[in-house]
Amino acid sequence: MSVEFQNVVKRYGTAAAVAGISFTVESGTLVTLLGPSGCGKTTTLRMIAGLELASEGRILIAGRDVTSLGATQRDVSMVFQSYALFPHMSVLENVCYGLRRSGLARDEATKGAREGLATVGLAGYDERQPSELSGGQQQRVAVARALVLKPSVMLFDEPLSNLDARLRRQMREEIRELQQRLGLTVVYVTHDQQEAMAVSDRIIVMNAGRIEQQGSPRDLYERPATPFLARFMGESNPARGSVRRLDREQIVVRLSDSEVVVADSAAVDGEATVAVRPEAITVEVAPGPAGALPGTIAKASYLGTHMEYSIDTAAGALFATCPRVERPLKAGDEVALVLASRGVIVVQDQAT
Amino acid sequence: MSSRAPLLWSVAGLLAAVALPWYALQEGLDSGAWLTGLWSSEDYASGLAQIIQHGRWWLAPVLAALAACLAICLVPTSRERCGAWLMIASAAGLALFVAQGLAIGLRGWSADWLVAAFGELAGRQIGTGAGAALVMIALLALLSIGLALRGAFGGDAFVAGAITTVAASILLFTAWPILRILVQAFQDGDGVFRPALLLERLAAEKIWSVRCLVGGGRCGVAWNTLILAVCCAAGTTALGLAFALIATRTGFHFKRTLRVLTVLPIVTPPFVIGLALILVFGRAGLVNQFLDWSMGVASTRWIYGFQGVLLAQLFAFTPVAFLVLIGVVEGVSPTLEEASQTLRADRWATFTTVSLPLMRPGLANAFLVGFIESIADFGNPIVLGGDYGVLSTEIYFAVVGAQLDYGRAAALGLLLLAFALGAFFVQRRVVGQGSYATISGKGDSGLPTPLPDAARRAALWVAVPWAVFTFLLYGFAFVGGLVKVWGRDYTPTLDHYTKAFAIERTADGLIWSGAAWNSFWTTVKLAAIAAPLTAALGLIAAWILVRQRFVGRATLEFATMLSFAVPGTVIGVAYVFAFNVPPIEITGTAMIIVLCFVFRNMPVGVRAGMAAMSQIDRSLDEASATLRGRAPQTLVYVVLPLLRPAIVGALVYGFVRAVTTVSAVVFLVTAEYELATTYIILRVINGDYGIAIAYSCALIVLMLAVILLIQFVVGERRLGRRIAPPLGGRA
Repeated sequence: MSVEFQNVVKRYGTAAAVAGISFTVESGTLVTLLGPSGCGKTTTLRMIAGLELASEGRILIAGRDVTSLGATQRDVSMVFQSYALFPHMSVLENVCYGLRRSGLARDEATKGAREGLATVGLAGYDERQPSELSGGQQQRVAVARALVLKPSVMLFDEPLSNLDARLRRQMREEIRELQQRLGLTVVYVTHDQQEAMAVSDRIIVMNAGRIEQQGSPRDLYERPATPFLARFMGESNPARGSVRRLDREQIVVRLSDSEVVVADSAAVDGEATVAVRPEAITVEVAPGPAGALPGTIAKASYLGTHMEYSIDTAAGALFATCPRVERPLKAGDEVALVLASRGVIVVQDQAT
Repeated sequence: MSSRAPLLWSVAGLLAAVALPWYALQEGLDSGAWLTGLWSSEDYASGLAQIIQHGRWWLAPVLAALAACLAICLVPTSRERCGAWLMIASAAGLALFVAQGLAIGLRGWSADWLVAAFGELAGRQIGTGAGAALVMIALLALLSIGLALRGAFGGDAFVAGAITTVAASILLFTAWPILRILVQAFQDGDGVFRPALLLERLAAEKIWSVRCLVGGGRCGVAWNTLILAVCCAAGTTALGLAFALIATRTGFHFKRTLRVLTVLPIVTPPFVIGLALILVFGRAGLVNQFLDWSMGVASTRWIYGFQGVLLAQLFAFTPVAFLVLIGVVEGVSPTLEEASQTLRADRWATFTTVSLPLMRPGLANAFLVGFIESIADFGNPIVLGGDYGVLSTEIYFAVVGAQLDYGRAAALGLLLLAFALGAFFVQRRVVGQGSYATISGKGDSGLPTPLPDAARRAALWVAVPWAVFTFLLYGFAFVGGLVKVWGRDYTPTLDHYTKAFAIERTADGLIWSGAAWNSFWTTVKLAAIAAPLTAALGLIAAWILVRQRFVGRATLEFATMLSFAVPGTVIGVAYVFAFNVPPIEITGTAMIIVLCFVFRNMPVGVRAGMAAMSQIDRSLDEASATLRGRAPQTLVYVVLPLLRPAIVGALVYGFVRAVTTVSAVVFLVTAEYELATTYIILRVINGDYGIAIAYSCALIVLMLAVILLIQFVVGERRLGRRIAPPLGGRA
């Protein structure tokens, strides 16, 4: 167990930024803290780093209680959103910094730093100034600088947010590859749900200072526990529907006049909030097959790879994506919606 | 917790209590005479000896607390518990230390109720000495360590130590003297406390009379001070704005020359302008002589009085306002002005509805600075005031003159302080809580809008003659030191310089026989001691205020801001009151002058340091911390290299202000420790202008040299460009 939080609270004045959370991070895994801005994920990361001290609760790193220790005394290192490369030092001096402060002699530190730079593919950049590097290269220096300390846990605070979209995908693959190759324990903060799903072994979704749900990327996408999660992990349409249980494993979800059978072992009969994934809606020209949900297209947009439709139905306005771009529908067209069972999720217990 | 720091501090404290004289020595530590009397002599005895041998039982609890700290360090226990106990023991020790220091003075118990409670005391005690001071420092250090061990201040003992050091020193050398002045104002000559006395002193006719308005006669000094300050503040703000607009928003060709103006007041002793004005407008000045020669008008004393002081202050402080406003005018986002123009506003409308309102906080700030500079100014009123008295000169005469009325000086000091703080709060009110900051981390691609023609012409017409005249005044001041007797005999001569700075070569070697050498070397020595202390304390204070979060941070910041607003005259008087009796008895020493320099000039170092530090992304510090850099290492390897310009600024400012200051130190100098400025002022009061001017010019040259030297030694910051992008919203 590399990191363990036990009922940790962080208060600023009277406001609680983190309102009592517990979780663990297994060694050698990459765990992402995901949530909208202001949810407390960065505060949580900074509490692992020791840059903020917890107001209540206990924090353990590698089995040691570090609750009242500052950042310097903890066996962690961090890659900052702004990279925080020291602008008055060369690339090599930057990477050496932590090793020197840990008490290594200059030669050993330089050797370690060179290895670190080679690991991230920046061998030969020793004497450059950070300001002479591109964003992606600066990012790699920051990673190397954190890496060479061989910490119990490495922290990434929104490391990709200053990169452009193309570089972002490349860097996140590099980080994941590095983490798996070296068996690093990583805690990663982002607000980008796609980024989180792409890099993580496990995701901890936070909202308003609490943990909303944690699990594998697939768990969270396919079985969101709350309406917030259904909205936050990918797109979804909230709708009111009713639930009728078929057997232990299956239920029938009814939206207006249309019914769909869904695998679910928890929901109880009655009214329920239902989340419908946009890709689970197949848009057919009316009248469509029996049991389809009739509707009218309110808005249609062409996005190259797919179409996006806003559709008014008796179950409310639904948003759908449709990969068939060769025969687009247009606003005002009458349609019938067929719901796929995998993208219909009952997210809230019946309001009884 | 493996740290040896608490152990070392306890041992150091106990050693100081055993092996150093507890009380202050008349002759100083370096004589070494105390070594033999550490146990037996009452004067030289260490803390322990004082308790056992000389019956000063009240010191025992303090040392017991220190011993308790040592015991706590030796007992193995958990980190938190050790911290808690250390905190309790050291805090108790400190409280006992302060209590005995305040309660027992030169004549035994210091208050009647203490005598009543404990009975007469045989012993008495004089000022704190080396042993006592070290014990107190050790206790403070242990308190910091205790707090840090319990997780306060990010669990970092260095940060905790820095914070307690800054807080304690501000408390001791700024808050305590001001508190003393407050107490003094209520006391009569025998030290008896009489609340009604303050009212009596403040209600005096001489302070509040309005006879200059109704009936003949003079107004009270309070009105004089206020009127002068408001006029000076309004004038310097308007002139400063004109200069700032010209420098940033016009194609004016001599902008660099204008910038030189901003350096002048920093290196000029504040009364030099007054002197130069006397050379031009005085009885024997150029104007009077010309009038006499051309039209036979008898020379007048016109320059002596309100108009003279105001003129001198306007010349002296306009560059300061310029300095404040140039940043403000540059800070107005060009994009906002461009937006205004795309919204159908012409240049004039843009200027009046967008640019000016955005400058409002800056204008209020410049006004405040002008106001405070004016009420704190001592040099110009004493040189040019004639019988137009203001509070600062009045306080001086109450302390130094024949009146020797400390109570009255204290009351007047309080009034001056009240004016300064009043202006300070009014300014904060005007600026309000709303943020006008228009400099964001993002680049601003807009171009500054040129000034509307009318405004440009007005600004040029005011500013250019003013600037020319300022340079002329400095020119006259320079020439004035090179002629025999200004007004009578314009024969060029170096007499004044030789009189002041003669060096004779004799058989015994060089003899510094010039009249000015003594005060000159004292000034240079004390300023050179004070400058690094000022810079260090100021930057450390700035560092903890910007970078650390802790309980009481806002209070500490407010305290440093406040001490900026306290006029020098008040500080000077307060130091006299606070430090001429035990527990801290340092009046008449060089130490009190150095302390006065440091705490008088530190707030500016703090502001400059804070401004510089807030431009350095906080994540750099945090990166260092997560890379095993402890707080002092972060400071040395990361923060200070990036702060070089601010260090230069603080050092230069610390030195130069120490050399040029008059108002605060005029109360603290002695024959042994005479300073350059006070020496010059005395020459001026005696009408000995030649040597005063020569000396002033020498000082200006010295300070320019020092600025260049410091710039050269500390050097520029090695940095291609600042890369830290703005830190995005934090989750």
